[in-house]
Amino acid sequence: MSITELNKAQTEKLLEVNDLKMHFPVKGGFFKRTIGAVKAVDGVSFDIKKGETLGLVGESGCGKSTTGRSILRLLDPTDGEVLFNGEDITKLTGKRLRDIRQDIQMVFQDPYASLNPMQMVGDIVSEPIKNYHKNRKGEELKAEVMDLLTRVGLPEDAYYKYAHEFSGGQRQRIGIARALALKPKLIIADEPVSALDVSVQSQVLNLLNELQDEFDLTYLFIAHDLSVVKHMSDRIGVMYLGNIMEVANKSSIYAEPLHPYTQALISAVPDASKIGQKRERIVLEGDVPSPENPPSGCPFHTRCPKAMDECSKTKPQLKEVKPGQHVACLLYE
Amino acid sequence: MEVVPNKDPQLKTTKPPKSMSPWAMARRKFMKNKLAMISLVYLIILAILSFLAPYITTVDISRVNIGQMKLPPSSEHWFGTDTSGRDVFVRLLYGGRVSLFVGISCTMIILFLGVIVGAIAGFFGGIVDSMLMRFTDFVLNFPFLVFVIVLNAILFGKVGGVGVLIGVISLLGWGGVARLVRSKILSEKENEYVLAATSIGGRPNKVIMKHLLPNVLTTVIVQATILFANMIVAESALSYLGFGVPQEVPSWGNMLSASQQPEVLQDMPWIWVPPAIILVFTILAINFIGEGVKDAFNPKSFR
Ligand SMILES: Nc1ncnc2c1ncn2[C@@H]1O[C@H](COP(=O)(O)OP(=O)(O)OP(=O)(O)O)[C@@H](O)[C@H]1O
Ligand code: SF4
Ligand SMILES: [Mg+2]
Repeated sequence: MSITELNKAQTEKLLEVNDLKMHFPVKGGFFKRTIGAVKAVDGVSFDIKKGETLGLVGESGCGKSTTGRSILRLLDPTDGEVLFNGEDITKLTGKRLRDIRQDIQMVFQDPYASLNPMQMVGDIVSEPIKNYHKNRKGEELKAEVMDLLTRVGLPEDAYYKYAHEFSGGQRQRIGIARALALKPKLIIADEPVSALDVSVQSQVLNLLNELQDEFDLTYLFIAHDLSVVKHMSDRIGVMYLGNIMEVANKSSIYAEPLHPYTQALISAVPDASKIGQKRERIVLEGDVPSPENPPSGCPFHTRCPKAMDECSKTKPQLKEVKPGQHVACLLYE
Repeated sequence: MEVVPNKDPQLKTTKPPKSMSPWAMARRKFMKNKLAMISLVYLIILAILSFLAPYITTVDISRVNIGQMKLPPSSEHWFGTDTSGRDVFVRLLYGGRVSLFVGISCTMIILFLGVIVGAIAGFFGGIVDSMLMRFTDFVLNFPFLVFVIVLNAILFGKVGGVGVLIGVISLLGWGGVARLVRSKILSEKENEYVLAATSIGGRPNKVIMKHLLPNVLTTVIVQATILFANMIVAESALSYLGFGVPQEVPSWGNMLSASQQPEVLQDMPWIWVPPAIILVFTILAINFIGEGVKDAFNPKSFR
């Protein structure tokens, strides 16, 4: 472990998620009774230390957004703990909940749906401030918002415009300015660039990196492929069907992925440094099972190239297999 | 060296920023819709004339004038007189007062009740939603006509004026709006900007008022025009049948009911044709306005 990594390991945890579950009830039948549940998040655990970026990666529908929204309490999690600065926030209500939201903000996935079409950009960005600081208003507030807009790379006249007048990348910058307005400690960035043109993606990623240093931010950075998180993360968590499969430092994940699912994902990432070397791409068979009816035992066993008999019976728990590298797979039990 | 045309720099900076709110865009699009604009002008003129009727005519419309019964149109009585000797044109204006007033009042109250119930049910969901919607279904399934007729019969003579009619129609009529607003809120709620509004510390009432309702408002406005037309028709139909506004109060429906006499229907078209035509034109105009609003707010233009 390098010195910097050691330092990071010693710094305190800002966020700790323990066995988080979010099951959406499925209603049906004549009396609208609950007849089942979509297990969108089914026992997710990870932690994020102050100042670091945890990349959360997984295929579409594996429960990444649901995890992010549960942490922010935009959803009420079915079970589990979310410790923010050591305080469990899953049961908070009223004023305490509103207070905690000042410290955790979100950048949303869809730049088109995440901005109110009826609001001026200036209103969008000043609204969080107005929500919490009644005393800040008028020219002072406007100047503050203008600052934020310039900081995220928007022209000042953006203040008086409406979302429909901007491109996807610019809209995402507006969303970032809104998330920054309260000077939060943690930002959950839910696939902030997946809806953008490739040419614009890196600009927005760079912006997020700059802001992290400038505002002392901690990121939970959600993405659906490993190539985007590579430039963003210190550590990476791999999700599959509502479960965390592996969490480790970025370097370990890329150098020596331990979980079969991570191995498959890594093999799909084009790697410039390994050109010429023979690399086998692991192609997964079959489809992702439905979260309404997940497989027994290991959620990945229906597609795992290394599956054993045991895998359909026992659900593997996340275990520290190597220092700092946690894996949920029976191969390492 | 290239000659650069001498552009006035002032010209560029003083030009107002070309930025339009979705409302402004919709307004501009609506103004370009000729049919809708003509309809709007017609309605406004009609409303002004009706509401100013007592000030622009001196004719007493309630007094029966035996000497001037059933007169055909003339320069003195533009649309002739009715079977009681009252001036048809003047009654038409007074009738518009009542019909439009009943229509607007009912529409307002229905929108108010429907939007509140629908917004609360749609936003909070769960048990609040189930209970409010059961109640809404109950109101929707109420036999409207029977209730109006019975209530009118009971209250007849005890409570005067058009208030009873407005109250009854409104209390039984909000169900459709509630359902519409609820389903619209449910679909609008899925948009991330609503989640964002909560995540930046907005309380539920603010999220509803500031974010959901403005985006649902377009649907509500279109619905309002349909309602307004329907309410005018309802008033006329009930009055025609004798269950609407009291007989002595002029309304288009009451005026139309004169045609129930075969003699009037056959030989005195000037008594019942004017209210019929004005009713049809008004309904058409409201519908054209509704269509215009719907076009103008085509959401594709601001997403
Ligand atoms: N409100 C809800 N009610 C019922 N099911 C839901 C709800 N929200 C999400 N789900 C389901 O939960 C699962 C996980 O959804 P989620 O949006 O968290 O996935 P995701 O990993 O963010 O995917 P994407 O990359 O497409 O954004 C999906 O199967 C989805 O259909
Ligand atoms: S537990 Fe079994 S099925 Fe699951 S990843 Fe490990 S080897 Fe594959
Ligand atoms: Mg998502």
